[in-house]
Amino acid sequence: MTAAHHEPPVLELRDVEKSFGSLRAIDSVSLALRGGEAVALLGPNGAGKTTLIRCISGLTRLDRGSMQILGHPIETEGIRSALGLVPQEIALYGDLTTKENLYAFARFNGLSRRASRERVGWALKWTGLEKRARDLVGFFSGGMKRRVNLACGVMHSPQILLLDEPTVGVDPQSRQRIFRMLAELRDAGTTILLTTHQLDEAEQQSDRIVIVDQGRIIADGSKDQLVEQSVGASRLVKIRVDRPLKGPLKMQNHLSGEPLGETGKDVVTTRIDDVSHHLTDLLHSVRQNGYDVSDVEVHAPSLQHVFLHLTGNELRDG
Amino acid sequence: MIWTVWQVNVRRLLHNPMELLLTFIVPIAFFSIFAVIFGGGVGIGTTPKIKVIALDQWDSEISRALVNDLTENPGLRFMRSPSETNLSTEEAKQLVRRGSVGMAMILKQEGDSVAVELLTDSSDQVAAQLVTAIVTESIVQAKVAQQQQSIRFAATNIPPGAAGPLPNDRSMANPVQVVDVIGEGKSNPVVSMYAAGIAVMFLLFGATGGGGALLEERENQTLERLLSTRLTMDQLLLGKWFYMTAIGTLQMLVMFAWAQLVFGVDLIGHFDGFLIMTLVTALAASAFGLFLATACRTRGQLSGISVVLVLTMSALGGSMVPRYVMSENLQQYGLCTFNAWALDGFDKVFWRELPVEALAPQLAVLLISGIVMLLAARVLAVRWEMD
Repeated sequence: MTAAHHEPPVLELRDVEKSFGSLRAIDSVSLALRGGEAVALLGPNGAGKTTLIRCISGLTRLDRGSMQILGHPIETEGIRSALGLVPQEIALYGDLTTKENLYAFARFNGLSRRASRERVGWALKWTGLEKRARDLVGFFSGGMKRRVNLACGVMHSPQILLLDEPTVGVDPQSRQRIFRMLAELRDAGTTILLTTHQLDEAEQQSDRIVIVDQGRIIADGSKDQLVEQSVGASRLVKIRVDRPLKGPLKMQNHLSGEPLGETGKDVVTTRIDDVSHHLTDLLHSVRQNGYDVSDVEVHAPSLQHVFLHLTGNELRDG
Repeated sequence: MIWTVWQVNVRRLLHNPMELLLTFIVPIAFFSIFAVIFGGGVGIGTTPKIKVIALDQWDSEISRALVNDLTENPGLRFMRSPSETNLSTEEAKQLVRRGSVGMAMILKQEGDSVAVELLTDSSDQVAAQLVTAIVTESIVQAKVAQQQQSIRFAATNIPPGAAGPLPNDRSMANPVQVVDVIGEGKSNPVVSMYAAGIAVMFLLFGATGGGGALLEERENQTLERLLSTRLTMDQLLLGKWFYMTAIGTLQMLVMFAWAQLVFGVDLIGHFDGFLIMTLVTALAASAFGLFLATACRTRGQLSGISVVLVLTMSALGGSMVPRYVMSENLQQYGLCTFNAWALDGFDKVFWRELPVEALAPQLAVLLISGIVMLLAARVLAVRWEMD
């Protein structure tokens, strides 16, 4: 347990609920984010991630539960200025320039004229759009718009940044650029809560992953913790042998109770719990069956496996 | 392929109720409005009654008979009973200038017959010609009746050969004299009215367009983002209201500056009245635009509704056709529109040259309706603040 875990949370949700008609979009969600932490809300479309972000940012009224920002109830006057919101849509003025958009959002977030001008200079540098400062945002590529969209949400240097699918529809290059921008914010101590349905994004951009499905939090922890809690620490091992098998291989009992592999195939697949000991035993068994090993692949369990294990479904749309 | 393109377009039309409305219903609505204005108004002889007063300065049997005859004319409405009208010529002129009456008839003695001086407001060109014709006809008919009576009397009482020729009555030739009490010396009497009419119509279009920007912000989620900052809905609406008002005021200013440069409308000479009328009209129109925007769900819906409403208000309110050619009922309906009140105000400024205090009714109506619309817009916008 790190020192950060002893600090009070900068954002805390307790038993939060929200329904739209008969649809329960958020169901008894409790969540706490500590200062400087990056948390990914992972879940399929329709899981309730965006609704949760909207509730935190004050755009959707809670049916039940409570929220605190920096230890103050969310209703406290001015407390929401600690939040920055980057919506999923490109919510910018397409007929304004980059600089004009940034300046407008700095002003809307309460910065003085002078502070806004200074912050615009920083944002242009941060986004790498200094040369496009006077160009109309409406003519930008999707990736560039996303960068401006992100910058507009942090003009007031919020302590907590809420990002709703920040890289939807952008090319890999732009995505990496956005990840670098987020890393800079994290280094500066900004607490980040991002929603995503992309596993690699959740894995790379967060210290903690909260898996949401059908409005409920079904798992919460680091990737390793989630793996440990769900599919366990077993590894998938694929061994390629020097020739097609004449029949299934007989293995040592602690590796597999049943013979492995299929006649005519040159690959043997199995799971092992302890790589340091069992992989050696596995390779030894293959050789004892009269085959040489030509290649070995060891796969750690992925978030995909975790999600599948927890929900019984692949990450899905809708 | 061509058939498929045709089918796709038909289906798109059928899926778009607003486009259907604009395609089939709006033309019928406008045809009906103009049919009522021209068909039921001047077209079939039911010209709206012209508000008049009569000053009988001769006060003779002949002049009283003429006034009685005129009061029975269906085209005239006497705003005061002729017997109770005890005004000076100057007071009558003031009533015409203020628009309280469309025309004042001053009956005078000329020889042994009556002559009528018509104090007119030449902005209503139809009324001046119509009343001239009505009064001339009444005088001539009275004259003819009088002369026929004289001839019959002479034929029965005067010995043959004693009768001379009929007197050469000069008043028969030109018994009505028209005096333009407002338009005299003005180079272009109605151009300011049309400038105001067109400007107010485009002010309304501009305002609904400005309201559309709010819906656009909502549709692309910029509105939600704005509301997640320190900006409140009150500030947003007020900011937009002031912006639209400023643009509308500038739009009107440019329009009238052009009218002064090219058509000789005296903008500078009436700048105080123009400015206050323009400002209040722009405030009201902007509030109307915001109200419509907050009442609609999409920009498409706003676009369709605003076209129908603005054109209807402009037609009824006098932006397209002067209200004095409309029937009295239509003129009353016209008072439900921004255009009518705004145009009445501009008419007072540029045509009647009344002081700013005389604009009070127009300013009050526009301002109050603007504030009511703005409050309604604020109430409707509550649904966008939090779901």
